[in-house]
Amino acid sequence: MRCAEIFGLGLLGSYLPYMLEGVIWTFALVGGGLTLGFAMGVPFAILRVYGGRGAKAAIDAYVWVYRSIPLIVLLFLYYWGIFPVVFGIKLSAMATSILALGTRDAAYETMIFRAALESIDPGQMLAARSLGMTRWQAVRTIVLPQALRIAIPGWTNQYAIMLKDSSICFALGVLEILTRTRYVTISIGSYFIPYLIAGILFIILTYGGTKVFNIVYEKVQIPGLVGGK
Amino acid sequence: MNSNIPVLKVENLKKSYAGKIILDGVNLEVDKGETKVILGPSGVGKSTLLRCINMLTLPDSGKIWLEGVELTEPNTDINKMRQKIGFVFQDFNLFHHLTVLKNVTIGLTKVKKIPEEEAIKIAASALEKVHIPNTLWNKYPAQISGGEKQRVAIARALAMKPSIMLYDEPTSALDPQLVGEVLQVIKELSTAGMTSLIVTHELHFALEVANELLFIYNGKIVEQGPPEEVFANPKHDIVKKYIASIYSRKG
Repeated sequence: MRCAEIFGLGLLGSYLPYMLEGVIWTFALVGGGLTLGFAMGVPFAILRVYGGRGAKAAIDAYVWVYRSIPLIVLLFLYYWGIFPVVFGIKLSAMATSILALGTRDAAYETMIFRAALESIDPGQMLAARSLGMTRWQAVRTIVLPQALRIAIPGWTNQYAIMLKDSSICFALGVLEILTRTRYVTISIGSYFIPYLIAGILFIILTYGGTKVFNIVYEKVQIPGLVGGK
Repeated sequence: MNSNIPVLKVENLKKSYAGKIILDGVNLEVDKGETKVILGPSGVGKSTLLRCINMLTLPDSGKIWLEGVELTEPNTDINKMRQKIGFVFQDFNLFHHLTVLKNVTIGLTKVKKIPEEEAIKIAASALEKVHIPNTLWNKYPAQISGGEKQRVAIARALAMKPSIMLYDEPTSALDPQLVGEVLQVIKELSTAGMTSLIVTHELHFALEVANELLFIYNGKIVEQGPPEEVFANPKHDIVKKYIASIYSRKG
């Protein structure tokens, strides 16, 4: 009984649903961030590989900048700097967080997808062009479907990374897992068990999400393509 | 189409890479229904010549006409013209992520905008010509043999109803026992009247199939004529050596 008091177990039961609700917010952050990262990263990578010199330089600069800034700095910069000061709009903490996670993820996804595009045998492009396809037709119908499959393990990794990074959004007070855990620790005056639960939640989410990505990877596999059987 | 116009005409074609001259003024013509075979030692520009003809490699200078349309003219819609040039690669280059059937239909549906159903009919007929049974239609390239891959690649080009077929060493990447089936298909197509330009090292095949042999050396056509003539009485030293070397290698 004393032990339970030390760890705040009695109170914790009533706070657990509150903590679990954080999973939804964490998923919203990760889902939003990955979607934005994908939506930006894929065209960026295509431009990086097939675009002109100017496009290449611009994308390299983007990647370099976003890989250099720590996420927490980016969050504060967006929240108190760029959006209110430069664009004159006040975004919610949640929207700011998704934008920060997504624009940063775009830099990494650009690199992942660029590598996937460059791994495609140049003969595929030659064969497509020899049939009379335009460059863009060849990219869209021949190169992209192969590269997207090859990039899935890279994206699985991005999911796992962003899931953990999303906890940094506690700094803006987004009600994700970590923020809620902190509130719980303050309310019950005990730290160990709440943070242990938070850790376990992240383990489960990483495991489960990675599994889902792997199932998708298996499903879209094609014999002979990288990773295929 | 005016039958006096050659299907393919190449005039004074030149190409160099990093200061090294690969093609040094090549002239050739292929008439409708003709099959010409290009011979020559490795690295003398035979593949470059074929790639220049469909502009996958841009020539430095010279002119190319397909059925009277100049391909080297900047205003020519090269994508449209490439549809009329069937190209068969040494290493097949089948689309890895598509089934055998899709490999053949994709050019029809995406480039020629032919409805799927009709495209399948055309593909079926092309695959039949290269003796690919429909049991292989749903296989992926990685699941079929090299000889089958190359025959599918030929069907893919053939389905586009090209005016000419270009074969770039079509059997060089194949195991010896698979060479015959591919050469047989090419021969059947040529015999049936398909205009063809073939780069190969298979001399027997060249003898059987060619109306004319073109021997390339140092970026130029150094000898050309009916195969029997070239084989029986090669004028150029390098041609003699080449023929001798191929025969001694084959034993």
